[in-house]
Amino acid sequence: MKTQVDRKTLSTDVLIAGGGVGGLTAAISIKEIAPELDVLIVEKQTCGYGGKANKGGGVLQYFDLTKMDPWDFVKYHANVIGGFLGDQELLAKYVSMNNHMLDKLTEWGAKVPKNPDGTYNVMPTGPATAIIGVDLDITLKMRRTAEKLGVKIIDKVAITDLLKKDGKIAGATGFSLLDGTFYEITAKAVIMATGSQNYRIGSMWGSGRGDGIAAVYRAGAELRNVEFGNFAQLVRVRSHNEVVYGENFMYNAKGEHITKNFLKEREPDISSKAIREWYWAMTNGTGPVHLRFDSPQSEGGAPLSRLWDRPYGQEFWRLNHERAAAVDTDTEVCPLLIGEQSPIKVGHDMQTTIPGLYAIGDASYCGSAAPGAVPAPPGRNRGSGILNAVFAGISCAESVANHAKSNPLPEVDKEQIEKSFTRVFAPLERESGCTCKDVIRKVQEAMGPMEYSVYMHADRIAQALAIVLEAKALVPQMKAVDFHDLLSCHEAEAMVLSAEMHYRAAEMRKESRGWFLREDYPEMDNKNWLKWIIVKNVDGEMTFSTEDVPIEKWPVKPMA
Amino acid sequence: MIDTKHEIVFHPEKCVGCGLCYKACFVDVIRWDEENKKPVFKYVEDCEHCFYCESVCKRGAIEVKPNYASERLLQHFDRYR
Repeated sequence: MKTQVDRKTLSTDVLIAGGGVGGLTAAISIKEIAPELDVLIVEKQTCGYGGKANKGGGVLQYFDLTKMDPWDFVKYHANVIGGFLGDQELLAKYVSMNNHMLDKLTEWGAKVPKNPDGTYNVMPTGPATAIIGVDLDITLKMRRTAEKLGVKIIDKVAITDLLKKDGKIAGATGFSLLDGTFYEITAKAVIMATGSQNYRIGSMWGSGRGDGIAAVYRAGAELRNVEFGNFAQLVRVRSHNEVVYGENFMYNAKGEHITKNFLKEREPDISSKAIREWYWAMTNGTGPVHLRFDSPQSEGGAPLSRLWDRPYGQEFWRLNHERAAAVDTDTEVCPLLIGEQSPIKVGHDMQTTIPGLYAIGDASYCGSAAPGAVPAPPGRNRGSGILNAVFAGISCAESVANHAKSNPLPEVDKEQIEKSFTRVFAPLERESGCTCKDVIRKVQEAMGPMEYSVYMHADRIAQALAIVLEAKALVPQMKAVDFHDLLSCHEAEAMVLSAEMHYRAAEMRKESRGWFLREDYPEMDNKNWLKWIIVKNVDGEMTFSTEDVPIEKWPVKPMA
Repeated sequence: MIDTKHEIVFHPEKCVGCGLCYKACFVDVIRWDEENKKPVFKYVEDCEHCFYCESVCKRGAIEVKPNYASERLLQHFDRYR
């Protein structure tokens, strides 16, 4: 090989890939219950700054558990949001832990606003639901807490492949973005906290590129709900700034309030029907679509950022709003794909189908089945992104600690490591070929248009999949010029995988449910499709199967 | 976002070498010159205009000038209209 890099061999009890809010929660929680375990976070950018919790709206979901039973929310969620595809027990557990999670975040240094009497300073969104702000230095504070507890952190190293021994997890490999150093890390347990798949299209400042999802897929673990990775948000056409709740204020070129065509009463968040309405307006000659706000307070985003005193985040939001305002000369909007495929299948302890391999946060939000038939985060459930990551991080800790304590450090399989080394650096070895951006552009062309990925139809799914397969054909030809570019090559390959899974599973699901919307199958089909689609890599083949949702064992059931 | 044309204006005379901008960049646009204790804006074409680097620089050494038009919305406007 012409690529000359150093090699580092490490071992740890617990390896966490990804240093965002989920990875940090898991690291701290494991140290709290088992301080004797070595916990190592490997982050491809900088832990505390990477991930998404520190770049969003800084909002946490709040449930007033003195006024409501968690199952009240589960019932509402199954009927209005999750389309009966959600794991009701897991969602009930998430709601039950709400106040505990807020207390833990505060204990770990996050600034969660309180009233003078010590209660949380919440903004009600319903009779017993609310949101509460958190400042965006949340992950920086948590990094400090983790380090104080003895968690080790390596920045600027991307985890690329998972290692197995006798069917169990054995560690991972990765490389440094700075100098290419190849890392061979042996671990008793591995937690993937690597985020979702955003295809590098819409920002919402998501850094999820699906490379963790791809590593888990290659290792042979099952994925679930891959077809729900098609979240889209209305954005301003000029600045591309998202307008949260803008779907309530949509007007066509004839001045008609087209929100009324799809929304009978106020809903918790944007639905795919708003996307369809935009598409119809654009194609039937009544576009473009503009927003008309009924009051300055209803203009999404900016006012929310001023509700609580959050000095760290306010500077970040101010810059975003000011620069966008300079180009937003009108209020035209269009949808932009955010994606958020989060499909790693996990149980209630966040363990995947490979013993010792766990997945938390955005990597497994839909894979956990908790949010049902919606892309998550946010899962039409604002404030659930950060808190789901915290929930998953806490929920995995005991099982991870037990696994790490009851298993010896696995023996390193040299053949697997050398295979990974060759695979990882292959794009640097090629003398000629295409660029990673040639591949990414094609995936984006397949995933970006709303009539392909959100308002779906068999014919358009076939068209989009054909574009994905063109991108797939380019993958073996990608050539990298340096280690930054090498990471983009691996991310591009992961994007192809996610897009292919999305369209193949979307073609299978012949119904509409929750966010999932097909023009050719507009009705929810509880007779045939109370099922999860499972994707698995079997000897290099992408295989699909279905698993019945065990609706009979849960209290909330569809009417028909 | 790829192939963006955002501009990052750096004022080295204001920089105190704290390295926060380098850490804040979540897309590896900014690298760190350890010898001179200064950021290097190496992969600007990957900038997602999040303004995080500018936001954490308390000395005003960085200004991100977004070129929003260089970001692709990926909708088929020409086919719709």
